[in-house]
Amino acid sequence: MQRFLDPSVLAGISGLDLVAKTVVDGFMAGLHRSPTFGFSQEFAEYRAYAPGDDLRHIDWNVFARTERCYLKRYRGETNTLLTVLLDASNSMNYTSHKVSKMDYARFTAASLFYLTTQTQRDAAGLIVFDDELRNYIRPSTRQGQLYRLLSGLEHAEPRARTDFSKPLHHFQQFLRRRGVVVIISDFYVPPRELIRTVEPLRFHGNEVVLFHVLDPKEIRPELSEPTTLIDLETSETLEVSPEYTRNEYGKKIDAQIEALRDRAISAGMDYYLLVTDQPLDGALRQYLAIRQARR
Amino acid sequence: MGLLSPWFLAGTAAVTLPIYLHLLRRHRADPRPFSSLMFFERRTQSSIKHRRLRYLFLLSLRLALLLLVALAFANPFINRPAVSAAGDKLMLVAIDNSFSMRAGSRLADARREALSVLASRRPSERAQIIALGSQVRVLTDPTQDPGALRAALESIEPGDSRASFGELAHALRSLAESAHTPIELHLFSDMQKSGMPSSFTEIVLPADVSLVLHAVARNAVPNWAVESVDAPGQVWEQNKAVVHAVVAGYHTPVATRTVSLVVDGKLIATRSVEVPAGGRAAVEFPSLDVPYGFSRCEVRIDSADSLPADDVSLFTVERSDPERVLFVHESSDHRSPLYFQAALGAAAEKAFNLEAVTVDHAGGIQPSGYAFVVLSDVPSLPASFEDQLLKYIRSGGNVLVAAGTSAARERHVTVFGENIVDSRYYSRDGVRFLMVGDVDPSHPSIGKAESWSGVRFYFAVHVNADNSRIVARLTDRTPLLIEKKVGEGRVLLLGSGLDNLTNDFPIHPVFIPFVEQTARYLSGTERRSGARVVDSLLELRSGKQQGVGVEVIDPEGRRALSLDEAASAETFQLRRAGFYELHLPNGRRDVVGVNADRRESDLDVMPDDVLSLWGRNTNTGPEVPSAAGQTREQARPYGLWWYAMLLVLAAAVAESLLAGQYLGRLREEP
Repeated sequence: MQRFLDPSVLAGISGLDLVAKTVVDGFMAGLHRSPTFGFSQEFAEYRAYAPGDDLRHIDWNVFARTERCYLKRYRGETNTLLTVLLDASNSMNYTSHKVSKMDYARFTAASLFYLTTQTQRDAAGLIVFDDELRNYIRPSTRQGQLYRLLSGLEHAEPRARTDFSKPLHHFQQFLRRRGVVVIISDFYVPPRELIRTVEPLRFHGNEVVLFHVLDPKEIRPELSEPTTLIDLETSETLEVSPEYTRNEYGKKIDAQIEALRDRAISAGMDYYLLVTDQPLDGALRQYLAIRQARR
Repeated sequence: MGLLSPWFLAGTAAVTLPIYLHLLRRHRADPRPFSSLMFFERRTQSSIKHRRLRYLFLLSLRLALLLLVALAFANPFINRPAVSAAGDKLMLVAIDNSFSMRAGSRLADARREALSVLASRRPSERAQIIALGSQVRVLTDPTQDPGALRAALESIEPGDSRASFGELAHALRSLAESAHTPIELHLFSDMQKSGMPSSFTEIVLPADVSLVLHAVARNAVPNWAVESVDAPGQVWEQNKAVVHAVVAGYHTPVATRTVSLVVDGKLIATRSVEVPAGGRAAVEFPSLDVPYGFSRCEVRIDSADSLPADDVSLFTVERSDPERVLFVHESSDHRSPLYFQAALGAAAEKAFNLEAVTVDHAGGIQPSGYAFVVLSDVPSLPASFEDQLLKYIRSGGNVLVAAGTSAARERHVTVFGENIVDSRYYSRDGVRFLMVGDVDPSHPSIGKAESWSGVRFYFAVHVNADNSRIVARLTDRTPLLIEKKVGEGRVLLLGSGLDNLTNDFPIHPVFIPFVEQTARYLSGTERRSGARVVDSLLELRSGKQQGVGVEVIDPEGRRALSLDEAASAETFQLRRAGFYELHLPNGRRDVVGVNADRRESDLDVMPDDVLSLWGRNTNTGPEVPSAAGQTREQARPYGLWWYAMLLVLAAAVAESLLAGQYLGRLREEP
């Protein structure tokens, strides 16, 4: 399990963390603060009484000292709920170097789990899917949850094809509370179809984040000669030329990334591209920095 | 340019293999896995465009490698003139000065023609003169000096040796290995048929030697000669010797020849004999009476042919008192002296006087007064006699030891000095007796009696023969007759008795020539007189003792040995015909007559086809008189296969390096 808990990754996350995301929907304790005031235990400020205010909120101790009525206001604390949807289709097995996309996705999810469960004491859950729902670990804050999650990650071996519709349909049935939904996938689906499938989560009040994991050679393949490629999911073969790969393919994959980003943002989701040769903490830090800037 | 084995070019078909590997097989490489083909379009390009050759340089190296291997096996060659015009060649002039070149004006013709050839050469061309007899004699170093070459040519005198073209080819092979330049050999000879070796391969010349034949005789010339003379080398007391001579005619008609016997310059007898056409006739002179000492004799014919040098045959006869032989035996053994004396008397007539003594009476005898000593089955000798005998042997005396059952009782053989390994009684074995297995016919004791078949041995002493020469063995490999050198003398050991008990040798006919030859060998009379052939060797000393002078007087009356040679030479080669006089270290004086090898008397020449074959299809032939100074060039194939193999090696190394790089690159690719 230690491989999921790289200290350098955790150190990078602990400063910025997922705080911003949990603020959105939160009953939060610890670092997660709600942007709205509520009636929880943390004092925020005093406000002069105005007619119509609930007398239960008057601080009588202040009234005794000052003979003026002040209302005591508290900062609300929320407990957020993080659910990671991990794509375990066969295409995630692709790699051009030491770390496959699946490994990279595991690292990312594990880091999020650790941060969420150990630091924030939040509930975290995991859904592993390909074209079916393969594993579901209910979000919980119970002791040992982190290890269950990490075990679920470990047993998530890539196979079959990607299909978002079935797993998301099941996920909506399980969804009882609002939270943060992180989808980690290579998203080899049309952006329109993906957003249409994921949008219902957003409608339920969830914060949806798309982590788009790609290998650098998927973005810029290097072929020096005509080569036959085989699709890892469909086993379909295709003879491609280097010229096409350099020109047409590059344009198409760039268009796919742009379309995903645009459509995700348009749908109120967050989108981040993770390239597997980039440092993991750097990618998360970049995400958090952008997230902070949005606030 | 051509190919010696063109069918190996079929191997070039192997070039299809690398083409297949580079062009076709490579394109069937396993598909590379990819995440998704969602963004790829099926754009199959034309197969020709796709099937581009990979690694063109590697492919070309592999093709070159295969082509070069096939080419190397096909053995390419270029025709190169054997005699290069560049001038970097050696003109080797060989003059045959063998005995047959004395016929007519052959040697003078050869010398004159050689001078013409030398005069026509370019001044920058080096030349060398050699003389051909039984051996090749180098007269000059390679030089451009015409004076030195001319002087060397003019110094060549007619010799008495027998020409050997095999020896010439052998010398040329050695010279070609060391010269490293093309050699143009001009051979001036009568091309005598008898000069050819038994196998043609012995006269094959190296590739960079071109042969130009200059024949000074083209047809066989009639010639009569005294082919052989059979006369005793020694006569004793008042005996008269009988001389048998054979007169031979080579390519001659029927003719009557007068044969004369001359002793010390005096005509003793004359016979007329009719020699058939190309045949032989025998002549006998029944009573050769010579005085005491050496007599120089010759048999002469009046042939009046072109080669008068072979009309006479020389030999010497020595008249002396009989030699004394000491025969030591056991007192109980009366049989062995009887058999030995009978055999010696029958074979050598009165040449030897055998004095038989028993061991008991041998104490006071001085062996030095005897020609040789026989110890017949003697287990031990009186100490004083043994000491005297050993001194006698070391100073050049010779002893025959017969080791029978009595001698086998000792651990070692007396005088012979070696241990007895085993004593074998074959009569007790199932085989009952053993025969003689191997014999060394080159040993003088064997000589005329090469076959000892039929002689039965019932007992033999196996003596250690590590330091000795084994002359005869029994069929079970037991050494039977062994010779060992002790000092200047020899000890000859017969591993069985002379008593007709341990074997039946004494009553076998081969016993008589064995005793005669052994007696002559051990007494030294074998070499003292008679006749020899030119180029044969005379033994001057038998051991390693140096310092005692030997003197050899040649037919011209000059000392043939230098002072160093006289003090150390063990043998002397008789190079000329005539009478040689020897003064040996033991004080003896010998005289021998030396004659040229009579095969030189047959003046028949080599057939044209043999000469053409020898000349390697050049225009040179014996029937075409060689023009003076004409340089004949012949095209000779020069093999290129090893150049091709060098290129193969280079291509293989380059291919290995390049393929290693490409393979490394392929491994790095996913």
